[in-house]
Amino acid sequence: MILDAARRGLARAWALRGLVVFLLLVNLLTAAVLAVPLARTLREDLTNRGAADTMLYGFDYRWWSAWADAHPDTTFTPEILGTGFAFKNLDLLLHGNLPAGLFVLPDPEHPDERRAAVDSTVLALGAAYLVVQVFLGGGILAALRAPQPEWTVRGTLHGAGFYFGRLLRLALLVLLVDAALFGLYGPFAQWVDGQAREAVSERTAIAWLLGRNILLLLALLGVNMVSSYARVLIVLEERSSALLALVSGAALCLARFARTFGHVLLMAILAVAGLALWAPFDRHWETVGYKSQVVTFVLLEAFVFFRIFLRVATLGGQVVLARRLAGGPAEGA
Amino acid sequence: MRALSLVVAAVVSGAFLVRAEAPVPSAPASPAARPTPPIECQPCPLQPPPLPTPAAPDDPTLPPLPKQSPRNASYTIEARLDPERHTIQGSLVLEWRNTTGQPQATFPFHLYWNAFRNSLSTSARGEGRRSARVRGERRDTRGFGYIQVASVRQQGEGGEADLTPSLRYVHPDDPNADDRTVAEVTTPAPVPPEATTRFKVDWTAQMPYGDVGRAGWVHDYHFVAQWFPKIGVWWRGAWNAHEFHPFSEFFSDYGVYDVQLTVPQGFVVGATGSMQTARDNADGTRTFRFHQDDVHDFTWVTSRRLVERLDRFEEAGYPPVDIRLLVQPEHAHLAARYIAATKISLRSYGAWSAPYPYPGVTVVDPAWNSASGGMEYPTLFTGGTALFAPAALQSPEGVTIHECGHQFWYGLVGTNEFEEAWLDEGFNSYHDEKAAQIALGPQGFGKRYFGPLASGRGTRAPWPVVAPDVWIRRGDSQLAALRKFGALDEMARRSWDYRSADSYTVNSYDKPALSLQTLEGLVGDDTMTRILRTYARRYRFAHPTSADFIGVVNEVTGADYRWFFDQTWYSSEQCDYAIRVKNERVRDLAGYKEGPDGRLVLVPPSPPPRNKDEGPFESEVIVERRGGVRLPVEISVQFADGRIVYERWDGQYRWARFRYQGAVKVHRADVDPYGKIALDVDPGNNSWVDDNARVARRAASKWAMRWMFWLQNLLELQTLLG
Repeated sequence: MILDAARRGLARAWALRGLVVFLLLVNLLTAAVLAVPLARTLREDLTNRGAADTMLYGFDYRWWSAWADAHPDTTFTPEILGTGFAFKNLDLLLHGNLPAGLFVLPDPEHPDERRAAVDSTVLALGAAYLVVQVFLGGGILAALRAPQPEWTVRGTLHGAGFYFGRLLRLALLVLLVDAALFGLYGPFAQWVDGQAREAVSERTAIAWLLGRNILLLLALLGVNMVSSYARVLIVLEERSSALLALVSGAALCLARFARTFGHVLLMAILAVAGLALWAPFDRHWETVGYKSQVVTFVLLEAFVFFRIFLRVATLGGQVVLARRLAGGPAEGA
Repeated sequence: MRALSLVVAAVVSGAFLVRAEAPVPSAPASPAARPTPPIECQPCPLQPPPLPTPAAPDDPTLPPLPKQSPRNASYTIEARLDPERHTIQGSLVLEWRNTTGQPQATFPFHLYWNAFRNSLSTSARGEGRRSARVRGERRDTRGFGYIQVASVRQQGEGGEADLTPSLRYVHPDDPNADDRTVAEVTTPAPVPPEATTRFKVDWTAQMPYGDVGRAGWVHDYHFVAQWFPKIGVWWRGAWNAHEFHPFSEFFSDYGVYDVQLTVPQGFVVGATGSMQTARDNADGTRTFRFHQDDVHDFTWVTSRRLVERLDRFEEAGYPPVDIRLLVQPEHAHLAARYIAATKISLRSYGAWSAPYPYPGVTVVDPAWNSASGGMEYPTLFTGGTALFAPAALQSPEGVTIHECGHQFWYGLVGTNEFEEAWLDEGFNSYHDEKAAQIALGPQGFGKRYFGPLASGRGTRAPWPVVAPDVWIRRGDSQLAALRKFGALDEMARRSWDYRSADSYTVNSYDKPALSLQTLEGLVGDDTMTRILRTYARRYRFAHPTSADFIGVVNEVTGADYRWFFDQTWYSSEQCDYAIRVKNERVRDLAGYKEGPDGRLVLVPPSPPPRNKDEGPFESEVIVERRGGVRLPVEISVQFADGRIVYERWDGQYRWARFRYQGAVKVHRADVDPYGKIALDVDPGNNSWVDDNARVARRAASKWAMRWMFWLQNLLELQTLLG
């Protein structure tokens, strides 16, 4: 059933690839809000400087270091290169920086200094993006629930507007759940860190540290899964109560935990596999001139497309699973 | 070849009108004896030259190498460790020869572990990674430790005199009466000059937990450093025995150490010197005897878990050195890298100063959560690495080269780490970056993820990610630190007088290293090597000062370089040169001019040229000194037709202007084109390139696109929440 749900979800997402492109555009335009000013800042600094050449053909650490000192909140750092972007983001997520720095975990040595590790502009943009995605969620699900998935911008926006209120309430409830999760996780993480610190071997310490991060990630995936099913139920069953939908979603997931969570894990593994495939390719692809930049841009966007595609496919699979697990009729892909 | 091309370029550029213009300096006049640095750069400091062959021990052009140290403070120690209670019972006999030139009746002793005695010690009151603070979040008492002297006796031919009643704690650096890290005893009669006396000291010690400081225990790993009552140094006409401050390190006299260590059987022991004997005792313990001549400290480590790897450094021109690596089992796969880095250090530092004279060196890989890593002791040092250690990040290589390098700068040249930390840390950082660059190339950029919420010493985030094709070259990371913290203090200060831990670090490590790299750029690599060889040989087994080093610089170069050190070591000013260029077409006359008959004639403006690169041009190169440090700099000016003109500027005033007139405009101008001024905190503004807007735009879009990709993924990741 897991594989079938995944397959059907992927097929539905593929049928709605235009919608995925639309979501990609939303993502791209949101990111461009900050990327364009960054490009301008970089250009102004590099104009008439020798570092322009070295930055074009490689990465001039010496120039960047001075530039970063002059822009202390910048997130343009070498750590985002290669596969670093994925690890940095995951680390930010697992330290409670997302969204909007709401759940930042305290440093036990400086418990009073609870400051997000990302620039507040980036966090604000991220929060806005999250709201937009909550808005679009109704449109996406409305397209996915159809026996023959199809989409139009108008239809998507209609669905989005129709379900927005309920989905927004649901999102706020889920944020509360996330807050509770991080609230519990903070002391737990400190306890685990204590175990890691006291370990005899570094191997044991690594097992503790990675273990708690994996545990939190799984918990976040679990909350996301419950919230996804709640959204699916709101749209499929026209639920009006976000709270009850969340409870129903949780009940559904708990009752069929192996299947529902197995499906989410399978999709997560697909995402990791995509990153693993991407990494060696990215390392060897050189970007210099405008032509190679265009190609690079297309490739980068293809990767983001892949990520959004997986999100939609996961939701599609959850629609299929929700119907099946609720005893609904089988349907064609 | 490069020099030849420079000469040709200079001759060719004779066709241009070259005029340097700078206002009369309002700042202090330049020193009269300032040498003119050579413009040639073979090779450039950014690419260090290959390693020279080590100088012969009897090289007549260099000072002779001393055969042995003064040996005026020699210790015979017996110590027994209880690894369950983490206590040490010790007894020592110090043989002290009075080299002070005057009778001495009062003798200060360091009792370093009393820094951990309670929360009121000078070290515990301070900040910094090595401060003796007990970590608050655990509120446990393991971090406390002490050293308690049971008795002090003076041994003489006429018997023993009990000095214990005369023992009192002193506080030479501050009014902190709670500090117990220095004590002094008084002898009944003064010890005459050149006489030798013996002190017998019995003591007990409780080791602190090892996650802060240097010494300490973690499980069965016991790192035992600065652990016995140790006499101060008579230096500059007074006793030099400072309290144990949070940043400060150590200073002691040379001698012979003969030490017997008793630990439970099954424990591996590593220590200063070479092991002479090992015997099992009836009580289940084992006693090891170590001996080393001509060192100024003795440190040891013991644990059941340590894995031993043996190797040997054997190369032409160097005495052979047995390398003993004691590594944690989980780091055994990194043993070859530890050993290779040790050899890099022995080879490089030996070539640049004088070869390592001891028969062996012990490398210790610290236990997890131990803060004993990255420390130097005579013939023994600690490294530090992680289970996942990508080669690009040069860990354990970087720390190994540095700490092994301390065998030369600290071990063999015994400078005062309390008062002039830069003389060992700075010299060592200068050489370790150079050695690593030559042997390993630039270091990669990496970041570790998924670490503890509070990063402490000895623990680190487990998962490393290396950024592809981002390379950190010699001096790059030091420069970043100098930019941030360099203006906080003058470099030359006593270690506890710095404003903060960051200031101590930048002024003890980064700034002196960059200063020496800059000096290398000014005097040339060969001369720099000669300076350091002279200094290292003359002051082997001695306690030189900054003035001694400056004296050697002046002696070897034949010029007075005090101005350089005034600008760098004795200053908190930053160094930053910048350059910009203005290209203008030579103006045509437009307006009124006198005609042949003396009457004014109106000349209309000529139409603008169709080609913007059409000359002739008048170009103006402005070099600015944005920081307070005044150093002479070189300037290269490249014209659109490829010709290059080289200029020099003494850097005294705030700016200098160079004007050129010719058929083509200036295409590129660089101040300090060969990167000789390593202290320049913003090398990015050292070049000016004409008409590179297109390149700048492409570079900007390339990296902004990369950043946008990160942001797109971050945005998308947020959909996991909400």
